[in-house]
Amino acid sequence: MMEILVTVFSATFFVTIIRTTTPLLLATLGGLIADLSGALNVALEGMMLIGCLTAVIVSVYAPWYVAVPAGAGVGALLGLVMAFFAYRLKADIILVGFAINILAAGGTVFALALATGGDKGTSINLKSGAIPPLDLSGLNAIPGIGPFLTSFLSGHSVLSWVAAFLVFAIWYFLYRTPWGLWLRGVGEYPAAPEAAGIPVTRVRTLSLVVSGALAGMGGAQLAMFNYVGFTRDMTAGRGFIALGAVLLGARHPVGALLAALLFGAFEAFAVLLPGLFNWMPAELIRMIPFVVTIVALVLFSIRAQRALALRGLR
Amino acid sequence: MSNVPSIDKSSRFKAVQAEIGRALGALAIALVVTAVIVFLTSKSPIEALTQLFTAPIAKVRTIGLWVDDIAKLTVTGLAFSLVFQARQFAMGVQGQVYVGGIAASYVVLSPIGSTPLGLAAGVLAAMAAGALYGFLPGIAKARLGANEIVSSLMLNYIAIELCNFLMRTSLPKPQPGVLTSIDFPSESVFPALVEKTRIDLGLIFAIVSVIVVWFALYRTSWGLKLRLVGHNSRFAEYAGIKSTFIMVSAMTASGALGGLLGAMFVQGQTWGKLTVLFEGGLAFEGILVAIVARSRPLAVPIVAVFYAYLRQGAALMNVRTDVPAEVIGVVTAIIILLVSSSFSLGFVTRLFGAKPAGSAAK
Repeated sequence: MMEILVTVFSATFFVTIIRTTTPLLLATLGGLIADLSGALNVALEGMMLIGCLTAVIVSVYAPWYVAVPAGAGVGALLGLVMAFFAYRLKADIILVGFAINILAAGGTVFALALATGGDKGTSINLKSGAIPPLDLSGLNAIPGIGPFLTSFLSGHSVLSWVAAFLVFAIWYFLYRTPWGLWLRGVGEYPAAPEAAGIPVTRVRTLSLVVSGALAGMGGAQLAMFNYVGFTRDMTAGRGFIALGAVLLGARHPVGALLAALLFGAFEAFAVLLPGLFNWMPAELIRMIPFVVTIVALVLFSIRAQRALALRGLR
Repeated sequence: MSNVPSIDKSSRFKAVQAEIGRALGALAIALVVTAVIVFLTSKSPIEALTQLFTAPIAKVRTIGLWVDDIAKLTVTGLAFSLVFQARQFAMGVQGQVYVGGIAASYVVLSPIGSTPLGLAAGVLAAMAAGALYGFLPGIAKARLGANEIVSSLMLNYIAIELCNFLMRTSLPKPQPGVLTSIDFPSESVFPALVEKTRIDLGLIFAIVSVIVVWFALYRTSWGLKLRLVGHNSRFAEYAGIKSTFIMVSAMTASGALGGLLGAMFVQGQTWGKLTVLFEGGLAFEGILVAIVARSRPLAVPIVAVFYAYLRQGAALMNVRTDVPAEVIGVVTAIIILLVSSSFSLGFVTRLFGAKPAGSAAK
């Protein structure tokens, strides 16, 4: 028991949580923006996966600060494709999303085989780059709490800091700018903004593009920091977990952060568990994030129903 | 997914004609894109395309693989059609296949398995397990409003890990360390309909499923209610239909089909035993089959015939040439995108004639 507590409160565990949370958080924020505009983005998984592969392949030839935007850019492009089919060709957005997921699952393996010359499992033969950890050991100079701060704040991916900043930026955008109001209005009751002359479809298209960019960036973090390199299906359901995290976070950026942290913590826990308890079956440990997502979703839904009942809406 | 039933026979015929035209148009576009990809990437593109289009009917054995795929794609297509008709986007067929396969294996490897009842008992156990697995996201949505897409997808991952876990720990294995169970007793394995091929009893199950699902959807009051809920759940609610009950029962019935597919995998000639990852990603192909068939049970097997051919062709191309089978994912995605949208060939020409750039932004 002591071992668990020691591990859970250690700085290493904290750093692991931040690492596992970052891709999830980026995807969750992407899901949030799309969801608030009324466009359910079930393609987060596929966008992340294609983002992973793009970032890995670009990083072979270019530095990380080119590879990450490339991953995000591909995600954005997929968002545009989704919007095109959903709004211009009037397809069901959920089906379009799954088409993107299927494209990603097959397409990444196909593209990987082309890039590596026949290897369909991993990109191990490619010399792909990594996102450098941000070194803040300068904080050591602060008397007293310096070393403590360093052990907790140093060594995170640059994108972790970006993600944290994005939580604030998206909150500010949604609740303190007129465009944020537009976006929420379009999601809440599209007829009203339509009547007020707000281009509903354009707002949704842009949110899907941003959503895709964030998911692609999450993919880049996954394939260039959490793991270095691409393996087939490496997102392993993270995009779908992010979809659950959007709902769990009560469709609010801060809620999204907390939900992503929760899932990230359990994923980190699953990463560390085998070292602590070698008797625990690996399969059951791998199940943890999915079970937690279902449990959290159910509990949250119960709470949401109660809240509705309190307001007399049901 | 608008399938408004039309009373007029001739307009109905026209609608069917238009649907077929769109499906074939989408298929043609997807194949042209594939051909372009193959020509750009392969060293022997002609050879690869020849394999893709002719290999499945070249030998009796490959025809067997094709027919087996048709049966399985039909069942997963029906499972997705059922929930899509109720406008539920439950994506849990994959998980149901795994729990169905697990349940069937436990029953078949128990003493019951070597009796004449073994085959039926395995199938029924699989269907029951699948139904339960389909029921869970259904009831969570009906009672609590928990999003069925997320919960059913999570259940898929859990089922796969569960299968891996039970495979490693509890099921009897021929030797330690291998990831397959011992062979099922011959009483419980689906007999082959054609010797030395994979065409087995599963094909009969698939045909029966088509008829049962068609009958349930179009000749029973439950089916009428289900389709009403799918078209307009609010209207159905006002008409006194309990939409939550319909929702849950549709997802449960779809789960039973998923479980049946699980039994068809493990008890069929394909395996005749349980292995890890026995489903090989087939369950999700049901999305394409259901979408192209417009969730119509009678159209599902027809779509399955074409799609199974493409899948087998791709698999054989993968083995014999340098083009990976995964290229078929691109085909699938394009077909889903085109068929589920209001695309028409006229639209394409209009699109390129009128505004080529920034087209999504309105």
